Amino acid sequence: MTQTGDGELARSAAAGDGDAFAELVRRHAPRVRALCAATLGGPGEAEDAAQEAFLKAHRALPRFSGEASFSTWLHRIAVNHCLDVLRAAGRRRSDSLEALLEADSEALGRALSEPSPAKSLEDRDAVERLLSRLPPEQRLALTLRELEGLTYEEIAAAMSCSLDSVKARIRRARAELAGMARHFPGADIV
Amino acid sequence: MTHEKIRELLSEWLDGELDAPARAAVSAHLDACPACDAEAARLRRLGPALFRAPVRPDPRATEAFVARVMARVDSDSVSLWERLAARVLAPALGLALAGLVFAIAMPDPDEDAPLGVAAVSADAGSAFEVAP
Repeated sequence: MTQTGDGELARSAAAGDGDAFAELVRRHAPRVRALCAATLGGPGEAEDAAQEAFLKAHRALPRFSGEASFSTWLHRIAVNHCLDVLRAAGRRRSDSLEALLEADSEALGRALSEPSPAKSLEDRDAVERLLSRLPPEQRLALTLRELEGLTYEEIAAAMSCSLDSVKARIRRARAELAGMARHFPGADIV
Repeated sequence: MTHEKIRELLSEWLDGELDAPARAAVSAHLDACPACDAEAARLRRLGPALFRAPVRPDPRATEAFVARVMARVDSDSVSLWERLAARVLAPALGLALAGLVFAIAMPDPDEDAPLGVAAVSADAGSAFEVAP
């Protein structure tokens, strides 16, 4: 039996078919949730953001023209939503680099010296605090590159910006992280 | 190329985003320059150190997520109707009510009309009846 395509499901969902939208959520939830988790860190915030991205997509379904694939269209909505959340979080953030170094330098040293998926929760929290120091646009561009392996052109399309902006954002994000990493004891990237 | 220029290109070089001549120039420089090569290695290790590959999602967790999203979609659809009612239907109803009140409160124009006008109207009516 052939699987109904995303485009057809999107058209049915736009016409009010709840089952069609549920199937779209089922298909695309893993990627959207992974993006939100990598970009926003905290599990509660990431979960809320992933749900909100799908909710925004549902409201926007009547405007889905089918020019781009549903996957690309949805991904762009999720990227923009993550960017909004990061910008709002950035306005609330008040911890200084000194405070970060004082609280997390050992955990960050461990996390950076042992690049493995099996990091402790404490180390992952410290990594999250480190990444949260990047400007939202830089963090998102680097996440799309490192996590999803997107090309610069794909990142530019997802973030609705120029290729030069993508190059600059990723270059500056790496330089900033490498610069901060030099302060952590034991990190072999230092 | 200078060391500074090479370091500026390292990020794109790592991601395979340079054109062939630039890529070859950076690679040749790294072969000959231990300091820039060490910097490239540092940047290369950042990704795996800071970004975890997503774990394969548990189908039950995905189904639970689908259920949560659909519950929000349903309540969003209800609140959409509520918003529509608040923004469109309520003012429309208010306007209709105001119109009704205005119509009732307004005196009958014929009652206040000057006698002459009423008489002319009456005459005109009878003229139509008489004339074939």
